[in-house]
Amino acid sequence: MTSMAFLDLAGVGFTYPGWPPVVRDVDWALGEGEFHGLVGRSGSGKTTLLKLAAGLLQPDTGQIALQGRRGIAPGPDLGFVFQSPTLLDWQRVIDNVLLPVSLTQRPTPRHVAHAEGLLAQLGLSTHARHYPRQLSGGQQSRVALARALVLEPRLLLLDEPFAALDAITREELQTDLLRMCAERRTTVLFVTHDIGEAVWLADRVAVMDRGRIVDDVVVDLARPRTPAMRTGPAFNRLCERLRGAMDLATA
Amino acid sequence: MTTAPLASRTTIARTAAAALLLATLLLVWEASARYLGLSALVLPAPSAVAKALWAGTRSGYFWPHLQATSIELLLGLASGCLLGFVSGVAMGEFAPLRRLLMPYVVTSQVVPKLALMPLFIVWFGFGLTSTVVITALICFFPLLESTLTALRQVDPQRLELFRMLGATRRQTLVRLKLPAGLPVILAGLRVAVVLALVGAVVGEFIGANRGLGALIIAAQGTMDTPLMFAVLVQIALLGLLIYGLTLALERKLLQPYTDAA
Repeated sequence: MTSMAFLDLAGVGFTYPGWPPVVRDVDWALGEGEFHGLVGRSGSGKTTLLKLAAGLLQPDTGQIALQGRRGIAPGPDLGFVFQSPTLLDWQRVIDNVLLPVSLTQRPTPRHVAHAEGLLAQLGLSTHARHYPRQLSGGQQSRVALARALVLEPRLLLLDEPFAALDAITREELQTDLLRMCAERRTTVLFVTHDIGEAVWLADRVAVMDRGRIVDDVVVDLARPRTPAMRTGPAFNRLCERLRGAMDLATA
Repeated sequence: MTTAPLASRTTIARTAAAALLLATLLLVWEASARYLGLSALVLPAPSAVAKALWAGTRSGYFWPHLQATSIELLLGLASGCLLGFVSGVAMGEFAPLRRLLMPYVVTSQVVPKLALMPLFIVWFGFGLTSTVVITALICFFPLLESTLTALRQVDPQRLELFRMLGATRRQTLVRLKLPAGLPVILAGLRVAVVLALVGAVVGEFIGANRGLGALIIAAQGTMDTPLMFAVLVQIALLGLLIYGLTLALERKLLQPYTDAA
C-alpha cells in the first residue's frame, strides 16, 4: 500500500440543521484499488458518509481528500450507484449508459463502442436498444452499474445497490461487480446493511454506528472469491466478528 | 381459435352496439318530435336539424363562422398553452418568483374569466382579439399548473444523479425534469383543449358577430332552433376533432414511455 491513501477522510463530521450530528469525527483511509465495505444499521450515517465522499454534501468539520487533493467535487473521477437503478425511463438502455458522456459532449462512435462493450460484459448486449421498463430488476441494476463505469472512474461509490434484488440475482451481480472493478483496478466504497454481502465483496469492512466508525476489519479471504466461500468457516467467522462489533456498538 | 379474430370480432360488436344506440336515440327523438306534437321551436326533429345542417353547409353559410371559431380556438390555445408552459417552467425553476406571482395567478383564475369579456371588448374591441385573449386566459392555468406539478415531482435520487454527473441547471431541466414530467404536462394540455373550445364559443356569445357562438345567438334571435342544433353539432364535431388530434399528439410524444418495441 502507498504511503498516501487514495481517499482520505480526516475528522469528518456532518450535521443536518436542527438534528443531532449524523457523522461524527470519522477518520478513514481507503487504499488505491481496494474494495471497502461499510456496514451499519439503518440511520447509522452510512449513506450520509457516502454522499460526503461523493461531494454531494460538504463536511461541517474535517477534510476529505482524493489522491491528496482536498475538497471533493462530483465529476468524471467518481462513479455513483444509487439504491434504485434511477434510469431514465424514456431513453434506451444504450443512451442511459452514455448519459455521463452525453452531458459533456456528443458521444462519438468510440464512446458508443465502449458502452456496448460494458453492456456485453454484463450480459446485456441484446438489450442495448430496449427501454428500461422492458428489463428485469437485476438487468436494470446492471445498466446502472454500466452507466457508473462508462467514464472509467477511479473511485466507485455504491449505496446498497442490490438491496431490492432476490438472493440469486444479487449474488450474480456481486460477481459481476467484483470482476468489473478488478479488471479496472477501481477503488470501491460499498455501503450495505448485509454483513455477508460486505464480507464476500470487500478487502476491508468498516462498521458504522451512530455516526462513528467503530471497527474496521480486514477480510483475509482469497481472491477471486467463489460461491463456496459464502459457507466456509473463515467467512462465517468474519461475519460473526462484524456482527459482534455491531452489537457491541449498540450495547 | 386464435386471439386476433376474436379481438377484431369484439371490436365489431362494440362498434355495432354504439351505432345501434345512436340510431335508437335518433329514432326515439324523431318519433317524439313528430307524434308528441312538440313545437319545432322547442325540440326540432333530427331530420329538421339535418336539413338545416345540410342547407347551411351547401350554401357556405357556416363556413366563415366555423373558420372564425377554429382560428380563435387555435390561436387562443397555442398562445395560452405556450404562456402557461413558459410561466410554469419559470415559476418551477425559481422559487422566489413562484412565491411572488402565485397569489396573482390564483386571483386571476378564481375570477370567472367570462366576466372579464365586457372589459376585453373595451380594450381589444369586438371580435377576434377579445375571443382569442379569453381563450388563451382559460388555457393558461391548466398548463401552468401541470408544468409546475411536473417540475416539482421529479425523483430526488435522479436529481442527485444529475448533480453527481455535474449537469448544469439547464441540462437538468431539459434532460431530466421536462422529459420526466412530460406525461403530466400533456394531461394539462388535454384539459386546456377542452376548456379552450368552451372559451372560444362562449366568448363569441358576448364579444363577436362571427363564429359558431355568435351564430347560436343569432339563431336564438330569429327563433331558428333547428339552426341552433345544427351549430351545436358542428361545435361537437370540432371539439371531437381537436381532442382526437391532442390524443394523437400525446401518443406520438409518449411513444418512448409506452412503446413495447
